Amino acid sequence: MKRVISSVLFAVMLLAIAPALAQDGTTFTWGTFGNPVSLDSMNTTDGISFRVITQGCEGLLRFDKGTTNTLPNLATSWETSEDGLTWVFQIREGVSFHDGTPLNAEAVAWNFNRWGNTDHPEHFEEFIFTYYEYFYGGFDDESVIASVEATGEYEVTFTLNAANGVFLTNMAPTMTSLHSPTAVRENGTAYGDPEVGFVCTGPYQFVEWLPDQRVVLESNPNYWRETEGNVDRVVFQVIPDNAARFAALRAGQIDGTEQINVEDLDAIEMDDSLAIQMRPPLNILYVAFNFRVVELQDARVRRAISMAFDREAIVEAFYPPGAVVAKTQVPPSLWGFNDDIPFEAYDPDGARALLAEAGYPDGFSTMTIVGADEDGNVTDEVIDQRPFTIWYQPVVRPYNPDGQAIGEAMASYLADIGIDATLETRDWGEFLQLGRQGELFGIYQLGWSADTPDPDNFTGTFFINTTNPLPRSGWYQNPELDALLKTARATSSQEAREPMYQQADQILHDDVARLWIAHTGVPLGFRSCIEGYYANPVAEYYSTVVNNCG
Amino acid sequence: MSRYLFRRTLEAIPTLLGTSVLIFALIHFIPGDVTSAILGERATEEAAARIRALYGLDRPLTEQYFIWMGNLARGDFGETIRGGIPISLELSRRFPATAELALIALFLATLIGVPIGIISSIHRNSLLDAVSMFGALLGVSIPIFVLGLLLIFIFGVELEWLDFVGRIDNDISIPTITGFYLIDSLLQGNLRAFGNAAGHLILPALTLMTVPLATTARITRSTMLEVLGQDYIRTAHAKGLTRRAVIVGHGLRSAMLPIITIIGLQMGGLLSGAVLTETIFAWPGVGKWLFDSIVARDYPIVQNVTLLVAGIYILVNYLVDLLYAFADPRVRVAA
Repeated sequence: MKRVISSVLFAVMLLAIAPALAQDGTTFTWGTFGNPVSLDSMNTTDGISFRVITQGCEGLLRFDKGTTNTLPNLATSWETSEDGLTWVFQIREGVSFHDGTPLNAEAVAWNFNRWGNTDHPEHFEEFIFTYYEYFYGGFDDESVIASVEATGEYEVTFTLNAANGVFLTNMAPTMTSLHSPTAVRENGTAYGDPEVGFVCTGPYQFVEWLPDQRVVLESNPNYWRETEGNVDRVVFQVIPDNAARFAALRAGQIDGTEQINVEDLDAIEMDDSLAIQMRPPLNILYVAFNFRVVELQDARVRRAISMAFDREAIVEAFYPPGAVVAKTQVPPSLWGFNDDIPFEAYDPDGARALLAEAGYPDGFSTMTIVGADEDGNVTDEVIDQRPFTIWYQPVVRPYNPDGQAIGEAMASYLADIGIDATLETRDWGEFLQLGRQGELFGIYQLGWSADTPDPDNFTGTFFINTTNPLPRSGWYQNPELDALLKTARATSSQEAREPMYQQADQILHDDVARLWIAHTGVPLGFRSCIEGYYANPVAEYYSTVVNNCG
Repeated sequence: MSRYLFRRTLEAIPTLLGTSVLIFALIHFIPGDVTSAILGERATEEAAARIRALYGLDRPLTEQYFIWMGNLARGDFGETIRGGIPISLELSRRFPATAELALIALFLATLIGVPIGIISSIHRNSLLDAVSMFGALLGVSIPIFVLGLLLIFIFGVELEWLDFVGRIDNDISIPTITGFYLIDSLLQGNLRAFGNAAGHLILPALTLMTVPLATTARITRSTMLEVLGQDYIRTAHAKGLTRRAVIVGHGLRSAMLPIITIIGLQMGGLLSGAVLTETIFAWPGVGKWLFDSIVARDYPIVQNVTLLVAGIYILVNYLVDLLYAFADPRVRVAA
């Protein structure tokens, strides 16, 4: 009996080891930390889903590899009217979706109408279409897009309600990639689910998605464009634990990954079989002031708080390599960045003097909260007195690797100038909700990662008065800034827009409207035998990857 | 006996109802809501309100509770809010993964733990006893993620002997029959798949078995010590039985009740999913799913799956009670 058991165990061991030797040279396996939510690009908001969709779905424009410049893609050319209200796109001929449905002007118009018109039969009420609402200002009549029509077999005409400088750029991100009308109609609300996946026009088509295990894509044999890479199968392998995922990279079970623990970065540098690439920073960690706190309504107090923080020390202590100290909301890698704005120097003595000038020679430990009226204007009515609070982010984000530790550092910097602050946080969902409602009283950490490489996505998002920006921007109001950003958004030419965003950041700096802390690059780890991967903060295309691992 | 079984079945109903109220209250009373997880950081208050209305989350809590109970009574587990995937489909994929790992881990823990406990009790206060009890202490003390990662680095990365990502290699597919990969691969005569699945099971099972192994060994030892000091054991020795017959036939048989209890309790716990082990080994089971759902406030998953887990716990305890009756005639007589 013993002999039988030991023989069986030995056989199991042998069988277990043998398949590990098999390795397909043209598969690219990306180790991902989580599961996608939906593969319908307008029915999700998470980066993991977008990364998968990007490999198989395309928009009218795309990003040039490794840059945030846009290139023609499913649209070959376009024209705009002088007033910027009419856009006519010529659609590439001879392209089909993965299910054989032809890509033509009808299909393009169908996608936009589905997203934007709530009475469209495929605008399923269970779906969120968050990015349409966000990019175009709302649905139906609220949308900046008045109509989308096929004006020829391969010609689509967009009519806008107002000129929009970001309109063209927004045709490139994954969110506005085009899906097969046939597939969406046939599958209904199951479209984008693990059973269906996506049906688009891109270089890879959907094979399978086993939730919390893997998503598999394979080459689209009818892809319209020559690709540079040699990968004919893409696997997204879900490995939630950072250390285990790094172990899988070292063991060659995955070819590349992100969210690597800082302590493992050194191990990659020392290992010849592994390599690091840095995804350029296109994000920001900021500290916002809540302007319903009376003490913070005084610009001298805000400046004092700004001068109290040693940003260089914070970045040095808490951020991975590749992070830089921020001095504006727009990151340096993006056009519209204003390099003339000075870094806020760490100056606790100057901060204490400013506080004294503002009437707080001994600092303060409590805050006075005033109310807001129905229109969202801050009133003088005192509604509460509370301990002065620093809200720290409860979740890890690329731009905020450790909210609590950074919050504690900030509290100690403030204590140094006499401001006694209490640290607080909430569950992430509640934190966001309080932020939207303008009820994070005190100062609070939050951040932003770009959806689209346009300064409007940074500055315009927070400081233009559209749906409910006043509470979510800490009740900050500045009519001059609002007017400037609205003009910038309604201007088509990038040359004309650039100085407006530079001026906007200057206004924000002069007014100490917010504190900018850091822009963070994201380290990616690869096996050295992987080439042709272009790290890009807005979209990374695996069709350029060359797998030489053999 | 059948009256006893009937009574036990009836007792399960109020327990399950109580659990459902508790789960519902807990998940709805903790702050935060599902809209942030669905809409992300770009959400507007209007969109959040739309989502709440769509899923009935703006209705009174009592109404929401009874809607849930009504759906359950029809056998409808509903869909996940995030992603809209049928929960029963996801469960049918994930529960076998959790169960396969749990059963193997518990099988190993029992297979090794009970003999260690017996040997320790026989050689009480010897070096062997000290070593095994120290090992048991280590087993309950060492954090799962430390042990799991250690095993991965030794056997997965350095020696490259064993796989540690998921249940099976990506290039092997097994058509689902039971969802247990070891069984399904054997049923289809696919030895390569069997070996591969077994290879993927070894490290997570070793990691998961440490706590039950240590607990089982310690309980077996202490119970055996108590039993071996009884008069009837001395009588058994006196009447000339072999040492093995005394220990196994008289000692172990009497010590079985607490051992069965502890194994049963652990089985209930393991079947509800092992969050850490599943996270480290990318094991697509129930534990990690439930954990993520609580974080995302995906109410239908949390409510239904937790209730199911509670049901399984009750069922396992029920089976343990049946085993009692089998192992101890006094229970049968009393019933």
